[in-house]
Amino acid sequence: MTIHSLYIYDRHCVCVFYQDWHRTKRPKPAVEGGILPAVSQAVSPSQQNPNDGNLTLSSSFSSPRNTLSSTTGIVVAMNDGNQLPNAPQMQLSTGSTVSSSSGLPFDEEAKLVYGVVISLRNMIRKLSGRDEQFVNYRTSAYKLHLFETITGFKFVMLSDPKTDSLRFVLRQIYVGPFLEYVVRNPLVKMDSREQGIDNEYFRASVDRLIRGLSVFL
Amino acid sequence: MVVFSLWVINKAGGLVYQRNFADGLAPLTSNEYLVLAGTLHGIHAITSRLSPMGSSSGVQVIEAETFKLNVLLTVTGTKFVLLTSLADTNADSILQKVYDIYADAVMKNPFHTPEMPIRSEGFDTRIGLLIGTGQT
Repeated sequence: MTIHSLYIYDRHCVCVFYQDWHRTKRPKPAVEGGILPAVSQAVSPSQQNPNDGNLTLSSSFSSPRNTLSSTTGIVVAMNDGNQLPNAPQMQLSTGSTVSSSSGLPFDEEAKLVYGVVISLRNMIRKLSGRDEQFVNYRTSAYKLHLFETITGFKFVMLSDPKTDSLRFVLRQIYVGPFLEYVVRNPLVKMDSREQGIDNEYFRASVDRLIRGLSVFL
Repeated sequence: MVVFSLWVINKAGGLVYQRNFADGLAPLTSNEYLVLAGTLHGIHAITSRLSPMGSSSGVQVIEAETFKLNVLLTVTGTKFVLLTSLADTNADSILQKVYDIYADAVMKNPFHTPEMPIRSEGFDTRIGLLIGTGQT
């Protein structure tokens, strides 16, 4: 049992945060303009390197000297040559070499996840005839959980298919790290449609919370 | 355990059979059911591509707060969907039995046109016997 990834969408249907843990099939970096800045360093377009000291607030959070690479376990390897097809998990290249990722580009993937979640939400609402929420779905390989806030933020988590409902975890992320480091953070432009909500404290705090769970192995 | 409804979706995403058993969900028009079946067909295709860990099947169980949709995909692409209460544990076996009945009463029926709506009294009767009023 484990947890694979976390997506956060705002009410304008755009992905504002992404983080992953145990994921063998990695997304390719997004194409230029496909995602907002400050969503996740791991999947940002390779040409527009977030570390290239531009003076936006978002990039100051993600300076190359951050301590994240050790706490998240993500090895941010710059142009470290070709990776083996069966490269160990948690390895990642932000350069142009992404041979280990067989999946979709991240922006495409984020749109598909959002589309599925919204379609299912509408479907459940129609079927129940009440204001009933879609909670989760399961396939043979993973399980997707949804938690939606009143403000329209959608927290989506992918986990092992055998885990129980992780809605409480998503709620914990919302009432804990999200409120503390995003809502109460004056440097994060929420709802701007221009940038994501990624910052060092939020990412580290989410990471700590997830790694502390009993389902995270 | 309550069975609300049974759908059969053909390989093109068209709803070929829909029957309600217990009350509890909103009554919809047949057009609305057709749209929902088409949506589910699309979602099923997308979910298999979103896997974070290698290849995946399409969606198997979708849970809401008070009910769930159980999906059985056959090798020929026909989908059987059973809407049940959350507590229901034998939805998979019911779906398998529905598939058996479908093979017997629909596919062996010389008057049935494949991929078209199922109008078979035998199928109706046997499904009625299997699920009854949906209360177990």
